Amino acid sequence: MTVIALSINNRPVQLDIDPDTPLLWALRDHLNLVGTKFGCGGGFCGACTVHLDGTAARACITPVSAAANRRITTIEGLSANGDHAAQRAWQEIDVPQCGYCQAGQIMTAAALLARTPNLSDDEITAAMNGNLCRCGTYVRIRQAVRRATELAAATRRGAE
Amino acid sequence: MRSRRDVLRDAKTGAGVLKCSGAEVLATRRTFITVSLAATGGLIVAMRADIDAQMTPPTEPAGFPTEYIQIDPDDRVLIWSAQPEMGEGTRTSLPMLIAEELDADWTMVRVDDAAMDPKYGGQGVGGSDAIRSDWDRLRRIGATARALLINAAAAQWNVPASECDTALHTVRHAATNRTARFGPLAARAATLTVPRDVPLKDASRYRLIGTRVNGTDNHRVVTGQGMFGIDVRLPGMKFAAIAKCPVFNGRPLTIDSTKARQVPGVRDIVEIKGLDNPTFLMPGVAVVADSTWAAFKGREALAIQWDEGPYAAESNATLTEQFQKLLAAPPATLHNSGRVDDALAAAATVVDNTYSFPFVSHATLEPHNCTADFRDGEMWVRGPIQMPMGVPSIVSRATGLPADKVHVHCTRIGGGFGRRLMSDYAAEAAIVAKAIRGAVMVVDSREGDLQHDYYRPAAMQRLRAGLDGEGKIVAWDHVIASCSRNAYRKDPRGEHSTETYGSYVGQVQRVQQLDADLQPTRIPNARLRYGAPLTGVATGAWRAPAHVVNAFVIETTIDELAARAKRSAVEMRLEILGESADVPKSDTDPSPYDPARMRAVLLAAAQRGAFAQPAPEGRARGIAMHHTFGAYCAHVVEVSAAAGPGSRKRVTIHKVVSVADVGQTVNLSMLEAQMQGGIIDGLGAAFYGEVPIERGRATSRNFGDYRMIRMREAPLAIDVHFLPSRLRPTGFGEPPLPPIGPAVANAIAALTGERIRVMPFSRAGYVL
Repeated sequence: MTVIALSINNRPVQLDIDPDTPLLWALRDHLNLVGTKFGCGGGFCGACTVHLDGTAARACITPVSAAANRRITTIEGLSANGDHAAQRAWQEIDVPQCGYCQAGQIMTAAALLARTPNLSDDEITAAMNGNLCRCGTYVRIRQAVRRATELAAATRRGAE
Repeated sequence: MRSRRDVLRDAKTGAGVLKCSGAEVLATRRTFITVSLAATGGLIVAMRADIDAQMTPPTEPAGFPTEYIQIDPDDRVLIWSAQPEMGEGTRTSLPMLIAEELDADWTMVRVDDAAMDPKYGGQGVGGSDAIRSDWDRLRRIGATARALLINAAAAQWNVPASECDTALHTVRHAATNRTARFGPLAARAATLTVPRDVPLKDASRYRLIGTRVNGTDNHRVVTGQGMFGIDVRLPGMKFAAIAKCPVFNGRPLTIDSTKARQVPGVRDIVEIKGLDNPTFLMPGVAVVADSTWAAFKGREALAIQWDEGPYAAESNATLTEQFQKLLAAPPATLHNSGRVDDALAAAATVVDNTYSFPFVSHATLEPHNCTADFRDGEMWVRGPIQMPMGVPSIVSRATGLPADKVHVHCTRIGGGFGRRLMSDYAAEAAIVAKAIRGAVMVVDSREGDLQHDYYRPAAMQRLRAGLDGEGKIVAWDHVIASCSRNAYRKDPRGEHSTETYGSYVGQVQRVQQLDADLQPTRIPNARLRYGAPLTGVATGAWRAPAHVVNAFVIETTIDELAARAKRSAVEMRLEILGESADVPKSDTDPSPYDPARMRAVLLAAAQRGAFAQPAPEGRARGIAMHHTFGAYCAHVVEVSAAAGPGSRKRVTIHKVVSVADVGQTVNLSMLEAQMQGGIIDGLGAAFYGEVPIERGRATSRNFGDYRMIRMREAPLAIDVHFLPSRLRPTGFGEPPLPPIGPAVANAIAALTGERIRVMPFSRAGYVL
């Protein structure tokens, strides 16, 4: 066991933990941040997507030791009131069916939006292709990412 | 004496089913509506259910009340939703039924989990039945609450209730131009006598039903609030992973847990004996730890010698061999009309097609998990439970606890697709909780989840069909060799009863839902035969169970026959659909299969999908239809194909046009989502879904080799249409699936001339 210092959703956290533990289980079982989901444990499905220094990463194949000294953002910390453009768009387009994959989908989309404000359909598909949705909500996910770019643009205009 | 819950559970599982002249009739419950005053000073409307006296000893206390609505003085309305939510939108569409009849303002409605309270006895959904079974009951509750509010206003104004009406969240008395909001009337309404037999709204007055309403849980989902089974956290709880014999029906012989106990965080090892029938509960060894990760690592460190049991040599090859023998000499003839052999011999054209289908996993994205907490002799089970009524019984059998000491709480479910009709995971959690006398979540890895599923049955089918000189189908000889999901359940209806359509020929009962599969039996010379192999592989219901494979065989063969006869594929289908009068009607089925509705859906899909018009250069269209669970559905797809990886062809699905008749539409947003998602799920399973069996075990490891459809492969242009109807609504979780595979295969045949007769299509050289 090792003491590891983490920054999660802008809060410093210290964990006494096996350093090989995937970040996913550190979040879920040690810190009770259960919004980040376990889907496959092998980096195939994207249900566990978080941001490391603003970039989408798979928490299930990231050892907690590799996340030390980096900014970790989970779905719980994406926005203060669930009002990130992607979160608003997801609700407006009524994307969720079972909902299990959607936190990961939103985290992937949010990282994409931060990097690329204007997206073509092909760019959306390429970026979102790593996130499985077992219910097959892909049609609405794509609509929601498009809608999120509009909402984010409107927010930026409002801020100017 | 049996508890109320026993009786209710039996009523749901069918254990208490009364047999009446061959028909299954569930004992009827007398229900009546009660009111009480809420702590907030508002009105609570509940339904009290008494079990029919035939099933209940006379000493049984009266049924318990189940709250559905609370109307607070500040106008807010709380509706409890009692059915499990696993993605079909029950937590939105069911409360809509209440709110519609109540005339409530939906923006003032909040939906809460009734599912967290075990007193809601009749819980559980399956067979796309949530809307069908709750349609009358929930509307009646809403209408009664509305009548109570009217009576309260009438009393307050001293006017006849018959002169009052409601508009959005308001009671009005037009003659005196008075209005009152619902909230301030609630307390008085709670003191009134509950009116009986309140009339329901005429459908022409619906404001909510038939509109688009977004999911009531969307905000909780997008903010990552812990709602799923795997999110359950209790003080001091442990996590456990169970090692199971990789070979189906195997069991541990010797267990060496020395190294497992040395893994940091591992606390305990618990052996699970399993039930006599390992299909209901497999034996295994649970490693109990402080975290999921430690439990997984501890499980890997176990050294177990397995008794692999009688099926250790089973493989795809041995199954195929069995299927082929069964196809050559099928043991059971389920339907035989006319003279099939003579008709085939005399036919002008004969097609002779052999199909094969693999095992398919449910692969719910939320893996196998359940939490149990054992305290003071009582077991509290909490998890992604689809059939809560079945849980006390299996937990009781697995732990020896009396069923009335077992309490069940349902969480949101991260995907079901049929997997969670089985409650093995609840028994596993309870066994471990009882052993450690505390709280524990049993959770499996993706690998474990894929290797110990209740798979969609593997099958081979052979269909010979003949046309006469005019291109009419005159002979139909269908042999189904399929693993059975009923064999291990000792289902009295026979092992074939859910894998074929033939067992229902001549019966006119609750099984009318299978009627579209029956169309071929209206061909003058038709025969259906069946055989099941011996297998150790556990099988179960997979979204629209046998319909997916049967519709594939029937709809691709009809398409081929039409092509051979140079006839329209639509016209040929209409010919064997028959007329409404051809289908015997049942007294007990409120929405019997009606060929006229199937016909309308098929024609609308053909027209909207421009099926009769030439496709753009390099593309082709295909069509297929099916009826399941009370809904009628048809798809027209437009595809092209290009060189893909290896020598395979990459198929692009440019467009899907889908038409359905679900009766009265309730929530259009949910219905559209089920259509889109069902099509995409059906395509993923058709192109990729396959769990191979080698050396008695499932060889699928994870989503690397068990391929799931992704966004790039999914058709993103899906036109969805629902035919207007005032008939009783049905659920729509399953009906979009069966026709999508054959529609695409028919389009590929039109494009390339090649007929696909195997799932997954990747085995035929086609990928997405």
